[in-house]
Amino acid sequence: MKKFIFLIAMLGCIQMNAKAQSVEDSLKEQISEMKDRINGMDERLMTSESDVSKLTKIKFSGYIQAQFDNFENKAIQPNNYFSLRRTRLKAAYEATDGIKFVLQSEMGPAGFALKDAYVVLNDHWIKSGFFAKAFSLTAGKFNRLNYEVEYSSSQREVPERSGVIRAIYPDERAIGLKLEINPESLPLKLQLALLNGNDGGFNQFSDTTGKSAKTIIENKDYDNFKDLMARATYSFKLGSFGGLDIGAHAYYGSLKSNTNATLRSDYATIDSSKTGDAVKRNWIGAEFQFFADVLGGLSIKGEYITGKNAILGGSKFANGNLLPNFQNNFAGYYVYFIKNIGKKNQFAFRYDYYDPNTDIKGADIKVLNYTGANSMKIGKLNSSKADLAYTTFTFAWHFYFDNNIRITMAYAIVQNEKVGTNAAGVGNLTESYTNPDGTPGVNDYSSIFKQNQLTLRLQAKF
Amino acid sequence: MRTLKFKKIAAFLTIIGIGIISFAFINQERITVKGSDTMVILAQKWAEAYMKKNPAVSVQVTGGGSGTGISALINGATDICNASRKMKQTEIEKLKARYNTLGVEIPCAKDGITIYLHPTNKIKELSLKQLSDIFAGRIKNWKEVGGANAEIRLYGRENSSGTYVFFKDNVVKADYAANCQTLPGTAAVVNAVKKDVNGIGYGGAAYSVGIEICKVKKDANSPAYEPTAETVKKNQYPITRYLYMYLRNRPTGAMKTYIDWILSPEGQKMVTEVGYFPVR
Repeated sequence: MKKFIFLIAMLGCIQMNAKAQSVEDSLKEQISEMKDRINGMDERLMTSESDVSKLTKIKFSGYIQAQFDNFENKAIQPNNYFSLRRTRLKAAYEATDGIKFVLQSEMGPAGFALKDAYVVLNDHWIKSGFFAKAFSLTAGKFNRLNYEVEYSSSQREVPERSGVIRAIYPDERAIGLKLEINPESLPLKLQLALLNGNDGGFNQFSDTTGKSAKTIIENKDYDNFKDLMARATYSFKLGSFGGLDIGAHAYYGSLKSNTNATLRSDYATIDSSKTGDAVKRNWIGAEFQFFADVLGGLSIKGEYITGKNAILGGSKFANGNLLPNFQNNFAGYYVYFIKNIGKKNQFAFRYDYYDPNTDIKGADIKVLNYTGANSMKIGKLNSSKADLAYTTFTFAWHFYFDNNIRITMAYAIVQNEKVGTNAAGVGNLTESYTNPDGTPGVNDYSSIFKQNQLTLRLQAKF
Repeated sequence: MRTLKFKKIAAFLTIIGIGIISFAFINQERITVKGSDTMVILAQKWAEAYMKKNPAVSVQVTGGGSGTGISALINGATDICNASRKMKQTEIEKLKARYNTLGVEIPCAKDGITIYLHPTNKIKELSLKQLSDIFAGRIKNWKEVGGANAEIRLYGRENSSGTYVFFKDNVVKADYAANCQTLPGTAAVVNAVKKDVNGIGYGGAAYSVGIEICKVKKDANSPAYEPTAETVKKNQYPITRYLYMYLRNRPTGAMKTYIDWILSPEGQKMVTEVGYFPVR
């Protein structure tokens, strides 16, 4: 009996052992299957991570500025309206460390415009010493080398750039090549650029024959002359108090003459030149930006620019006359005072002066006309509104609703240079306009007439 | 200018002046701290101890990485940014543009970036050059640095991390190898290396618990050092760095008191307790 029980127990044990073995095998199989699955998931995760990491190299940013403007100058009709001032979308792709592509477009109601399109190559080869990683090369369409030009419109403390900058750097950008040297061990930045310098066609006279003078293809140069631009800035730290950045820039450029004469901005001298000669455009500027940590942030920034700009004349006109080139001596400057008030508010004031013609005074405008032997009976030989200097005081208050939204109220007090008067006491320069009710009106530039501007702007930035 | 109504402008500027002064003296009793994951354990310890002593002050600490913290400082989303790297010039420019200040940098602790290895790894020391080659993917097998014949597996931080940037700029001096697995925090790097016999990672000294620390030498002929209070203080350990707090403006009120306390012997004692090294 005992033997029988023992036999049964043994059989039971064997069966249990076999079952346990089978369970163990099954578990091993399941673990192996799970391992395979996890490995598979790992591989898929690695692929996804690699894809996602590529996507993180693309960065989108942009901003929209919707605003309401009210103009006190009655010659501007309608004198109040809503508009989209800027609608920008920027995509930057950092392909690998040191190579960056940037595309920025303006997509307003007026259509699509390419603002920036450039590639930046950062130095990858100099790894030690003073010039380690100091060099970068930019090619394409980019901002010209100037503080106010390079300062984003989404950040600027008044709605528009100052008069002198708008005059000499229309559209802000140019196509060309830029070299930057920015050593890590020194707060010095040197920039050098070689540009087409055609200003996208902005520097041509309007053609009096009705033909559009802006025939320059923006994507190509108008002539074989290349413009050279340089800027240097240096930053001083003033302990925990703040800092001072100083800098200077210079522009050395030319435009190909289409005609055989260049009128100077004194309206008395005509320089004879051949078609194809270089009409020089040279200027220099000095800048400073002072930052102080006084009851919150405060800054005072300024720049002075002076030199010689030029506008091209035309070739033969229907009446056989030539329109000479026009070379004007100019000067302009601006000073900002900006104060942050708490985290959300900011006050800004800018004094801005631009004289497009430093050779003549306000009293000379419309009085001085070129009357020399080569007089060509073209309107542009007369001094005009384009020679008037302007002073603008802009007050602005910004409220930063959150990280993305900025609400701005700005008031610009615009003052024209006064012109002389004729025997009847009427200004030598007047501007006729029609009021909305159909009655005529006149702006007389012998006095400072109302031409202030109120801007209410809502900016969304991402 | 001649025709401007000066009285009106003077009155306007006076109102603005009063506004500026009023805003500046508003007392801040809630302090937000954001940034470096390396510093988050230290910042939390400081906050807890300080709030216990000063119940009227609330200090809220979050991580996210130095880059995230600096962005938050620029966006106004935090009062203090913790960063395990210096602010870049481009970030200072953004601060200038938005707040018209250059920011305030306060070194509050020192750290030796530690190289983590699995305890079974034969390698006990590496030079900066070898570390650069390993993390740039130029050295792929442990046998190339005197170890076993096994593929090196790299663990590092995400690119928003200050440690990632500091290690890249000062040690790797090139792009990280594509197979370097990025992990969200130093603790995750340590855990990954603990589980991987062929793993290597880097991170703050405070996280080097229960893991093999690899000694580091400046070059092949230099002595190798471990990150200790002495070697970090004497700058003998080659991957030594400061840990910073960044502010938009010079601190006032509750924020100044808090920062003064952090830099006091009491605050600096906690730096050592956490595993970093005091600045004073």
